[in-house]
Amino acid sequence: MEIKETLKSAVDSLKINKLRSLLTMLGIIIGITAVIIISSVGEGLVNYVSDELSSFGTNFFQINPGNNMMSAMTGGGEPLTTEDVSVIKDANISNIQNIVGFSMTSKAVSANDESILSSIYGMTPEGEALLKPNMIYGEFLTNDDINNRVVVIGTEVADKLFGENTDPVGESIKIDDMRFSVIGVSKSEGNLFGSFFNTSIILPLETMQQQVIGVDEIVEIDVEVKNIDYINETMDEVELVLKDHRKIADDEENDFIMTSFIESLNIFETITNTLTLFITGISAISLLVGGIGVMNIMLVSVTERTKEIGLLKSIGAKRKDILGQFLVESSVITTAGGFIGIILGIVATYLVSFLMKIPFVINIVWVVIATIISILVGIVFGLYPAQKAAKLHAIDALRFE
Amino acid sequence: MIRIKDMPLISLRGIIKKYPMGKNDFYEALHGVDLDINVGEFVAITGPSGSGKSTLMHILGALDTPTEGSQFFKGKNISSYSEDELADIRNKEIGFVFQFFNLLPKITVFKNVERPMLYGGIPPSERSQRVIRALSSVGIADKANNLSNHISGGQIQRVAIARALIMNPSVILADEPTGNLDSKASLEIVKILSDLNKQGHTIIIITHEEEIADFAKRKIKIIDGKIISDVKNEP
Repeated sequence: MEIKETLKSAVDSLKINKLRSLLTMLGIIIGITAVIIISSVGEGLVNYVSDELSSFGTNFFQINPGNNMMSAMTGGGEPLTTEDVSVIKDANISNIQNIVGFSMTSKAVSANDESILSSIYGMTPEGEALLKPNMIYGEFLTNDDINNRVVVIGTEVADKLFGENTDPVGESIKIDDMRFSVIGVSKSEGNLFGSFFNTSIILPLETMQQQVIGVDEIVEIDVEVKNIDYINETMDEVELVLKDHRKIADDEENDFIMTSFIESLNIFETITNTLTLFITGISAISLLVGGIGVMNIMLVSVTERTKEIGLLKSIGAKRKDILGQFLVESSVITTAGGFIGIILGIVATYLVSFLMKIPFVINIVWVVIATIISILVGIVFGLYPAQKAAKLHAIDALRFE
Repeated sequence: MIRIKDMPLISLRGIIKKYPMGKNDFYEALHGVDLDINVGEFVAITGPSGSGKSTLMHILGALDTPTEGSQFFKGKNISSYSEDELADIRNKEIGFVFQFFNLLPKITVFKNVERPMLYGGIPPSERSQRVIRALSSVGIADKANNLSNHISGGQIQRVAIARALIMNPSVILADEPTGNLDSKASLEIVKILSDLNKQGHTIIIITHEEEIADFAKRKIKIIDGKIISDVKNEP
């Protein structure tokens, strides 16, 4: 019997028991939906983080005081100073493109009777090349601004202090009763890691250290490299320079910590991949359970339709015809379930990415894999019932009561 | 020189059929049946229930194989044919009409009549024309698109006859085709079979109703697995 006719008759048979066919599909639908969501959301998440990181620049590493992540965050340990920045610069490490030191504080800032609490960063002009802020209005800090009372403010800060869609360049703001003139408004490219350009105020480093906080303290040094392939070697060189300068013996633990974004990205990808693998395992179990459900129903169907099989054999159906018919029926169930699962998976992925504000990515490779898996589940789990049907003798099937 | 025309369509020689009953026991339904069916005959096989007439019909129809003895179809010994070889003979040479469960449920009359052609490899271009012709010959071409469970018992038997005709078989085997019908419908069905015989079709009908058997040109009576009479009948 031609495959087209077999397909038509399979669809006819499945239509007779619509509810049963649908319930049988359920396991496959759930499994395939899970496969699509996990692969797509996982990929969207990785893309999102990579985009965020690359909008921020991946070709640099950061140095923070402290000897672990915790103390680096809380600013514990011996602080870094502008001298640390200078010694790295003076070491003339060939792969270094740019070095920026930051200081940071948090103060009440006011203008036009509006007052907000804002993070304030001291930064050298190199920060522009390294962190790539979008300048909405005005300019970023330049070398002429050293020790001047000028600020670059984030768009959100500008909105709150001066109202939305107004150009505040030339206006002034007050920090601790000191008046600063606004020279630019900045915006971050991404919105996960780089959002501080939206919400912060940037001052020249010297102004910050000498006039605002009064200490020479650096919370983070960012080092941009020319060639990312040698970033680890460059980090080693910088480590030696800093150890020497900070008089740390070889066997002593560092009082600073170095991290590269590429490293963070790799860690993130590893976590995502492990999670994807784990949940893929769970969807595989769901597909297995779904497949067993299909086998169960097909066995019931073969028994119920024994007389029908007898009739088909009496009008000339051969073993392969009966085998084909039942295999196609089980495959149609799982493939239809697979398609429903793919559609549900795409819709769910869209909702998840919308709610999590991550990019909506559907990898066509996974759609193809899901389709192949659905068909295979139908064939593998339909084979035994179909063989059982095909092996029936015409007369035994006809006489079956 | 023997002409093909003279060779019986179906020949049974010493057919014994035993059914296993439990482990070491068996039941013998046919005890050595010899029978020839010739082209163009209209044969009625009668007998009470349990006489072995259904078993005989299954062997005549290549649905079952004998335990002992030989069965010839158009001169070929098919006693040792495989299930698939027998399926091919059933498809191309024999048209069945059963008492119950004749049609595939919940699909159209058209698809039911078409089905043997799908197994017989008849090209799609020919199929619809043949279905309509077969349905017309039994007078229900207008029911082609009805679902098989939405037509009357008499119509079901007509559709079954149309399906039996669709592959132009050598013989039509009807197993109690009127057993499920009222007398009016029964009469119509048996008239259709009789007309088909007049057009040259070989017909074998199994029945326990004498008035149905009376339409046949030859009556075979079977009791306890043996043919006890085989007479020409002048209706």
